[in-house]
Amino acid sequence: MSAQVLLADDDVELGAMLKEYLEREGFGVTVVHDGEAAARAALSGSHQIVVLDVMMPKLDGVEALRRIRESSRVPVIMLTARGDDVDRIVGLELGADDYVPKPCTPRELAARLRAILRRTQPASHPTSSAGPLEVGALVLWPEKRKAQSRGHELELTSIEFNILEVLMRNAGRLVSKSEISEQALGRPLARFDRSIDVHMSSIRQKLGDAAKLIRTVRGLGYHLAKE
Amino acid sequence: MGRLFWKIFLAFWLALVAAAVSTGTIVWLQHGAADAAPKDFAAGPRGGMDMAAAMLRDDGVEALRGWMQHRRHPAPIYVVDEAGRDVLGRAVPAAALARAREIVRRRGEGFRARSVVGPGGERYLLFAPQPPGMRLPPRPLLEPWQLIAIGLVTSLVFSATLAWYLARPIRSLRSAFDGVAAGRLETRVSPKIGSRRDEIADLGRDFDRMAGQLQSLIDAQRRLLHDVSHELRSPLARLHAAIGLARQDPRKLEPSFERIEREAARLDELVGEVLTLARLEGGTAPGPQETVDLADLVANIAADARFEAEAAGRKVSLKSAEQVPVRGRAELLHRAVENVVRNAVKHSFPGTTVEIRLAAAGERALLSVTDRGPGIAPGEAERIFEPFYRGAAAPGGFGLGLAIAQGAIAAHGGSISAANAEGGGLCVQIELPLAKGAQARA
Repeated sequence: MSAQVLLADDDVELGAMLKEYLEREGFGVTVVHDGEAAARAALSGSHQIVVLDVMMPKLDGVEALRRIRESSRVPVIMLTARGDDVDRIVGLELGADDYVPKPCTPRELAARLRAILRRTQPASHPTSSAGPLEVGALVLWPEKRKAQSRGHELELTSIEFNILEVLMRNAGRLVSKSEISEQALGRPLARFDRSIDVHMSSIRQKLGDAAKLIRTVRGLGYHLAKE
Repeated sequence: MGRLFWKIFLAFWLALVAAAVSTGTIVWLQHGAADAAPKDFAAGPRGGMDMAAAMLRDDGVEALRGWMQHRRHPAPIYVVDEAGRDVLGRAVPAAALARAREIVRRRGEGFRARSVVGPGGERYLLFAPQPPGMRLPPRPLLEPWQLIAIGLVTSLVFSATLAWYLARPIRSLRSAFDGVAAGRLETRVSPKIGSRRDEIADLGRDFDRMAGQLQSLIDAQRRLLHDVSHELRSPLARLHAAIGLARQDPRKLEPSFERIEREAARLDELVGEVLTLARLEGGTAPGPQETVDLADLVANIAADARFEAEAAGRKVSLKSAEQVPVRGRAELLHRAVENVVRNAVKHSFPGTTVEIRLAAAGERALLSVTDRGPGIAPGEAERIFEPFYRGAAAPGGFGLGLAIAQGAIAAHGGSISAANAEGGGLCVQIELPLAKGAQARA
């Protein structure tokens, strides 16, 4: 079964072209042209991944994302204007999983979709160790995509879950940001890319007091203490 | 404290000190002259005393008594023997006597009291009690050095206050200029000036007006740049997508090329329009100034528009004066009118007619273009002339046409406005000054 992509972009012509391209690449694509329709369709639960353009009529991409994140953890990629860091950071803080600068080539978009899908779908995630990962008060079940801190369920977005998994697999060792980017996002870390930091700060918020296990090594990466 | 403060302070203080010194000198000189005068005057009591003393000393008490009884309007002089009795038998005021004794003991011979020994060796005390109403000049309240110190301090404080009062608003102005130079265009000096009303305050208010103007200009430019970059992105994204599709499937090469061409043309058009707009706003419009017959120009545009409109099931009607000469750049005027007319054709409903009317009234040429379309929402009348503003129902286009029209009309000293027409649709009105000396013909 092909992965269902929800594409929200107000440019009708571009939407049609991207749909044509992505369908040939093996995705199922639904195109909507405004934020309201995007939020409604995303919350219907029939898509595995959502691509949101930031500039849209009725409800812009950021607002649509806010509405989606109120009740859904579906992976979301934001299409942000190249060079507009504010939209990018705001999107990530609101729980977007990644962003693609616009204009982008359709090949780039397809590659990013695949990378995120591969890393967020439980079925396509063959794990070497069947059992849960445990570090201190943190327990994580990779195949169930479930994590707990002191017995409390953690509400992590897909990418946040991936990042925590990478850190827990490497507990007691310094993990560089580019390693995290490669393994959790499926792409190399771009220069001046702050997305890992933004994800990390939202993970810390969700972890509560278990957050002190994670130490930032400035300029290098992150370190999750074994105990 | 800046240099200006010190300059004003020092100049003013020195002026005050100089004025004080010169006034002091003049007063002192005059006072000296006045001081000298009473010496002659003092002939009254003092002369009397001398005379009385000499008489007593040389001729004895009886002679004195005789002289004193014949003095006319005498300032009273008491002559008291050692027992304290007056030689004329008058009652002696005790306080005056005590004071006279005190004066004699302290200073010996004085102006108001002296001790005289008569020919018989008896000792008398002569004194003139102070007449009521006449006082010795009072001892000054303050010593001269205290006066000088007080004057100095007062002048210092006064000069400093004045210098501060003058220099402070200039310093706030300066810091405001620094702020604007550093790019903080929201800097204003009014709050620091308060309700002050003078030339410096006016300067501050002028500064605020300038900063406001700059700020709105820069904001407009920034918005324009932002909008332009956004508008450039859409055709670029479509270019990318078209190339991607061609790569993916070589059978789609031909339609993709067409798309790529279309997007490249759109990009070209957008860049051209943005440039025109930028030139209009910068006041460097192209083309020579000439006398243009607006009637001719509008008739040409109407004919072109009619051709396009009829293909889309719309009509264009024209009612025009015969000759409407205006002064300006033909190319720009053509563009402005064409943009307005095309806009009207685009927005009118199929089967309706776009009405163009051109007339000359007084010194002005009046052009109105009315369509039968959806019109505009209240409050949109100004905004439709903003760059990249697109109405809710506008298909395609960049939203630059009317902005360029407004810029071009404004560059010719005219005005453009829009309002919903009676019976639905939009009416855009253009006013231009007629060329001077040329004749309009109806």
